Amino acid sequence: MTSDNRPLEPTPRRALSFRAIINNAGIGLALLALILFFSLTSEFFLTSNNITNILTQITINLILAVGMTFVILIGGIDLSVGSVMAFAAVVAGKAITLPDMGITELVLLACLAGVMTGLICGLLNGVISAFWGLPSFIITLGMLNIARGAALHVSDAKTIYSFPSAFENFGSALIYGVPVVFLVALLITLIAWFVLNWTVFGRLLYGIGNNEEAVRLAGHQVFWLKVAAFTICGATAGIAAVIYMARLSISSPIAGIGFELNAIAAVIIGGTSLAGGRGSVIGTLLGAFIIGVLANGLILIGLNDFMRQMITGVVIIVAVILDYYRAKYSAS
Amino acid sequence: MFAPKINEAMRDMNLAPQETLPNTILAVSNLKKHFGGVRALDGVSFSLARGETHALVGENGAGKSTLIKTLSGAFPFDSGDIVLDGVSYRPSTPHEAKARGVQVVHQEFNLLNHLSVAENISIEAMPRNRFGILDRAEMNRRAQASLNAIGLGEIDVRTSVQSLGIAHRQLIEIARSLQSDSSILILDEPTATLTERETKRLFEIIADIKEKGVTVVFVTHHLDEVFAICDRVTIFRNGETIATELIADTTPENVVRHMVGRELEAERSNSRSIGTAGDVALSTRKLKVAFNPHQDGLDMDVHYGEIVGIAGLVGAGRTEFLRGISAVDPIVSGHVERDGSPVRFRSPRDAISAGIAFVTEDRKEEGLILDMPIAANVSLANMEAVSGAGLMRFGTERRRAKSYEEKLHIKCGSVKDAANSLSGGNQQKVVLAKWLACSPQVLILDEPTRGVDVGAKAEIYGILRNLAREGTALLVVSSELPELMTLCDRILVMANHKIVGSVARADFTEERILKMAYGQNGIEEGTNA
Repeated sequence: MTSDNRPLEPTPRRALSFRAIINNAGIGLALLALILFFSLTSEFFLTSNNITNILTQITINLILAVGMTFVILIGGIDLSVGSVMAFAAVVAGKAITLPDMGITELVLLACLAGVMTGLICGLLNGVISAFWGLPSFIITLGMLNIARGAALHVSDAKTIYSFPSAFENFGSALIYGVPVVFLVALLITLIAWFVLNWTVFGRLLYGIGNNEEAVRLAGHQVFWLKVAAFTICGATAGIAAVIYMARLSISSPIAGIGFELNAIAAVIIGGTSLAGGRGSVIGTLLGAFIIGVLANGLILIGLNDFMRQMITGVVIIVAVILDYYRAKYSAS
Repeated sequence: MFAPKINEAMRDMNLAPQETLPNTILAVSNLKKHFGGVRALDGVSFSLARGETHALVGENGAGKSTLIKTLSGAFPFDSGDIVLDGVSYRPSTPHEAKARGVQVVHQEFNLLNHLSVAENISIEAMPRNRFGILDRAEMNRRAQASLNAIGLGEIDVRTSVQSLGIAHRQLIEIARSLQSDSSILILDEPTATLTERETKRLFEIIADIKEKGVTVVFVTHHLDEVFAICDRVTIFRNGETIATELIADTTPENVVRHMVGRELEAERSNSRSIGTAGDVALSTRKLKVAFNPHQDGLDMDVHYGEIVGIAGLVGAGRTEFLRGISAVDPIVSGHVERDGSPVRFRSPRDAISAGIAFVTEDRKEEGLILDMPIAANVSLANMEAVSGAGLMRFGTERRRAKSYEEKLHIKCGSVKDAANSLSGGNQQKVVLAKWLACSPQVLILDEPTRGVDVGAKAEIYGILRNLAREGTALLVVSSELPELMTLCDRILVMANHKIVGSVARADFTEERILKMAYGQNGIEEGTNA
């Protein structure tokens, strides 16, 4: 019908793809600009030692942020990942220091215990918030306290150490200057990217974030999809716990305080909408890099840690303002 | 009848009711308001006499609500003239409208649920003591006085609005509007949520207000109320005012005739009946859904190859009925039958696997994922067709979406574009495509052409008729009678959560259906209800 030919105009489509480039490349360009700035202002920044440093520092946050992306994509949030990571680390630490077992068995057992602990915490977050339709903000705030308390209780508030040396070696191993733990984080990112972009499950998570009711009415089991997203987030906290142990050779019940906020920051800087339904795990990867590069570079150019914290805060706010415009333009 | 005086005065002056009266307080002439291509108001003219009670009636979408929103300053009008008290009137904000003495009690509640009754009533002018601090005692006293004035003295003004029933909330909303000295009070379907007793009280309140010289505009679906308390009635149809009549000089039949119009008969005649229907595809037996006040529930049958319409007023329980059948909302009692055997659906998923697809009323909230591509929307209800082992097959998805794009004439740049880049009609076709992709045997549609332009409407009718011809059973709810009369083989009429009649195609007349819907002579006609 003649009155109905709005979409036939060619301009919106071109504008849209142009915007798509800006959206995705914008974060990458910002990262490149940061790298350029710091390499010009600090002679140490681009040294291979420093790059190894940055990659090591990014690892934990990247793993947590990838899991967080799943939860934020469905319009939720998980405030408990830092505490859950500490809890999982303590449980894995207890497992790896069990007497009378072979090293391989111990390491496998510890990995399994750590990941399962995180997974179960995430499962609980998901089941409770999805079953009663409660805001995940509050439920995971509760879990933040539960997991922290559990970590302190299980460990008697003591740091666990003296792990098998093979485990510690894995934590500090390098391949061509790239930390193996970072490669693990990168692998997790790639798997997450595949799941979110190439599976029915991923498609439905995006759908839930955009319009949960439409997904439910289309005959999908929204409850289990949401539970799965939280479970994945919990499991990544468990993986992060194992990596953390391997890297620092200790399991501390007070590890990971505030890590959830860094993970959320990476997700948001990476362009994922806090309202859900929009974003990507590649953005999260870049977001984690921006936070890591900032933290490293600002100290290299002589700013103290307090200044660094302030600037990171500014970056988060700027990222959210940019997201506002992104949402506004994609809506019009 | 409360004010025969005005009628007499008008007759004495020998004026036609449409003409401007000497004691006119508000005159609206040729008012127009378009939303995109939708002509919400397309030449509205009427006048209000000081101190009269004036009814506005018309089918859903006839333009009453738009007019009220224009008068209350909620949004501006495109062209035309409004004169209030001899001065031009073009309110740009609700505040300005109130300042000029025009007060509206909206259909949706504007109460603050967690605050007390007193706080709600005096929200616009909180009494303050000389330190500028809220004078709670004075506020409660005033609120109590205003409630006493409308005969609601038994309510404690300190309780929160939340704890009150819906009818009391409506009356409190009215009490609040009476707080300000307004010269025109507009009530938008005030009785929709009231019981008989409260309606009576409302009528007494209206009579009181009239005594004080306030002009009352009364929007309602219930003609008996119009004839009980109003002096004049203005009838709307398709965004136009059709007539203004003195209540004393007209009849309900006359008003209904004006509401319906005549030219619609023609449109109907060139559509054809689909013919005899096959076996029973879908039945409900004593199906009772939430909000249905009646114990007995609803019974009906839909056959394969048949299009059954459900007519009725807003609030008659039509949408709730459909949502119960398709397990979108839970059933209270009774059951649904598919192919003659009882089925129990726990979720929309079960209904879909039983071959039932439900196109909801609200495509933006429930139908589409607006920010996602058209192709993704089309495959949403049948992901199995576009995936293997949980992995997306994007090529298949695109091809399927394209085939629906052609079949349903969806006008889009590419199926990869976001659904919100489409016009209303094309969005609705995407929703249809989504459900057709499940190859349903029973297709249930709630307002299938709301917000859809005329051309796309005709195309959607064609699609639905084809489906029926291919043997699909269709159940359609629509507030537009001409739509149902064009599409359906049979129309069930619902009023107050009951099926009050069934009209076969041969017997379709708008008057007959509307009368049933308005609860006049609600006799069972036909056998198949």
